[in-house]
Parts: sequence; C-alpha cells; structure tokens
Amino acid sequence: MAACTKRLDRFIISLRLLRNLQLQNERFLSTSQCLRAAGNDSESPKFVPPSKPVIVDKTQTVASLRKFLSPEFIPPRQRTDPLKFSIERKDMIRRRKVLNIPEFYVGSILAVTMADPNASGKTNSFVGICIQRGGKGLGATFVLRNIINNQGVEICYELYSPRIQKIEVLKLEKRLDDNLMYLRDALPEYSTVDPEMKPVPFSPTGEVPVNKIKVRMRPKPWSKRWERPKFNIQGIRFDLSLTPEQMEHAQKWAQPWLEYDMLKEYDTSKLEEQIIKEVQQEMSK
Amino acid sequence: MRLTLQMLISHGRMARRMGLGPRSRIDMLRNILTGLVRHERIETTLARADEVRFYAEKLVDYAKKGDTDEKAMKMASFWLTEKDLVPKLFKVLAPRFENHSNSYTRLARIPNRQNLDRAKMAVLEYKGNPFPPLYPAKKENELTLINQLLKGYREDRAQQLDTKS
Repeated sequence: MAACTKRLDRFIISLRLLRNLQLQNERFLSTSQCLRAAGNDSESPKFVPPSKPVIVDKTQTVASLRKFLSPEFIPPRQRTDPLKFSIERKDMIRRRKVLNIPEFYVGSILAVTMADPNASGKTNSFVGICIQRGGKGLGATFVLRNIINNQGVEICYELYSPRIQKIEVLKLEKRLDDNLMYLRDALPEYSTVDPEMKPVPFSPTGEVPVNKIKVRMRPKPWSKRWERPKFNIQGIRFDLSLTPEQMEHAQKWAQPWLEYDMLKEYDTSKLEEQIIKEVQQEMSK
Repeated sequence: MRLTLQMLISHGRMARRMGLGPRSRIDMLRNILTGLVRHERIETTLARADEVRFYAEKLVDYAKKGDTDEKAMKMASFWLTEKDLVPKLFKVLAPRFENHSNSYTRLARIPNRQNLDRAKMAVLEYKGNPFPPLYPAKKENELTLINQLLKGYREDRAQQLDTKS
C-alpha cells in the first residue's frame, strides 16, 4: 500500500509540475494577449457566435411544394365583369410583394403586429387562433381569438390593410371545420393561446396537419344552435352536452336534397388553376 | 308577410319559388325531369320548363362522366324517380350528346292553356329526339312565278360564267 501511494505521489507531483509549466507558459501568452486587447477596448471582448450556415435544400423542388391559393383570390359567383376581379388581383399582388402574407388556415395560430398611433412604440401586436376567414378580394378579413386575463377577445383584421406590419404563423394546422365560431361557447381552455408562444417549425411540402380535436362546450344556451345540420360542425363533442333525442330533434332541420341540388354547385377547379398560375407568375416577377 | 328587407329584395336569386317550399320545389322538378328523360319531349308551364332546363342539362353533364363515377350514379338515382331510366340516361342520352358541349335541350312556347288560369305553356325537349321537329322547315314552292324567274336567272348566270372561263 505504501509503495503504491509513494508511486502515486511521485506521479501526481510530476503531473503537477508539467501542468504548472504548461499553465505558466499559457498564462504568459494569454495574459499578455488579454492585456493588449484590454488596452484597446474598454470592455472585455464579447463572445460572437459563428454565423449559422444557410441550408439550401435542393431536394425540395418547386413541384413538391404545397400549392396554396388564398381563398380571397377566388371570385364569387356573380354577374360582375371579370375585369374588376383581375384589377383587384393585381392590387392584391402588389401588396403581397411588400408584405409577406403567409399561408394559413382556420385553426392556425397567428401573431399580427399592426401600426397604432395611440400605442407607445406605435405598434400593437396580438396572438390568437384564427376562427374565420371571410371576404373576397382586397377586403378579405380574418378573425383571431384569444383569452386574455379571463376575457375572451376577438379581433377582425383585414389582410390587405396598410396598417398591418407583420403576419406570422406560429403554428400551421387545419381543423375539422371551416368556421370555429363555436369556440365562443366552448370551454375557455380551447381558445387560450400563449402570447409568448414560439413559432412551431413546419415544412412547405406535404399535407397540412389536421387537428381532429373535438371541443367540449359550456352548458346550453349557446349563441347559435350548433347542433343543427346547416352548420355541419364536426369538431364538437355533442354527446357530452346533448341527449340523443335532442340530436334527433335537430335533424328535423336537415335538408337532404341540398347536396343533390346542382344549382348550388360552384365548381372552382379550373378558375383556381388559372388564378394560381397568374399569381405565381406575377409574384416571381 | 315579409318582415325583413332581405326577404323583400331578391337580387341575384337564381331559383324560382315553386310549390309548397324548397323540398316541394325539388320534388316537383324531379318528377318533371323523370318525365322528360322518359318521353324526351314534355309540355308544362313556362316557369317549370325553364327551371327544369338547367337541371336537365346538368344531369346530362353528370351522365357524361360515366357509369362508374360514384357521384354521377348518386345524382342520377336521386333525380330519376323511375329507376329503369337510369341505364337509359347513361347508355342512350350520354352518347347522343358526346359532341355537344353546352345546350342539350330546346324550349318552345305554345299557346296558353285553355283553362281559367290561361297559364303560359312551353314544350321542353332533348335535342335528337325521334319526334317530328318543333319548328318544321318550310319548303318553298318552286312552281311560283318569282321562283321560276329566279331559277332561270341563276341558270343564265352560270352559263355566262362557263363561257367566260
């Protein structure tokens, strides 16, 4: 035991000597450098991280990118001159070249900063879940909902308003319905969005994720009778708030002939293709 | 009693109000359409014929998509109440209108109904039906004096052109 410790001691002492030599040399060099540097700046040099490498993904070709046409580009079925719609589209594209309006759907979480003359810093920002996208052309709007300090707040923004400075999609997803107005009658946990949420990364290729959540509602009365077939809502858990008799009673307002009524059909596929081409051409100019 | 302004103004409404309500309107149009597909020429009031015309043409558009298309079959079985007409639609009417792109029907007015209501009547038919035409082509009588003179003039002109060339 004693022999081992002796050898160990000698080993450690030799190591220490070596380390001291090293350290002395380093200190010699490092301190001289530090002093010289310190002499130049008043503060110690800040650590500047190396610039992040820009990754250009050549596997994602233009063909594999998801084709998305914002619904306000599609003109409604009307007797107006198509010239009006083409002029409006030109103006919309002009605005889009200045402000990037990203792809988003009803149910995605957005953060919008808008110019406000009365706010300190001249801008105000709002984060919320998109519950409705309405309007066509330049008057297109979207409604964001959030619950702040136990108060539900809904703000309707115009996509092409010059006051809007930034629209950022924090989470891109779709829901089972096109209109989430029933969140007003749902439990508050389904409408709360964290205002300091970090953006969730999403890929520009592939399908948009569909959130198949079924929302729980507050007790009746609701603002609208969401169980009626005219709203055609898939995203509510009716079995928790309504009896089967009430569901059957709601089916009395069903109009089964409506899906076969050819007058109500508006086939937009060809129009959409044309408009997508036009928009992509103009945006790439 | 129209209470709201929306109910009073009907700008841009494409569908007429017929029968007892929307369900009744669709049922009525379904019956007329079935009769049209069976007989290929029917006589009804002008308003009903005008409404059915749109649905008849759309039905042929769906039939052109073919037998195997699920949506087309569902539409055909909904709109044709007599199910023996569904194969007729797909096998007779669809091939007949293969080369036509838009108008498959013809609407012609008739003298008003002789009842007390004096309703405007019309005849709606699919083109290419086996009956004699609604607007018969009038053949001009060649043996009238003017026609004979014109015939002679045409023959003289033809002779002159032959001698010149």
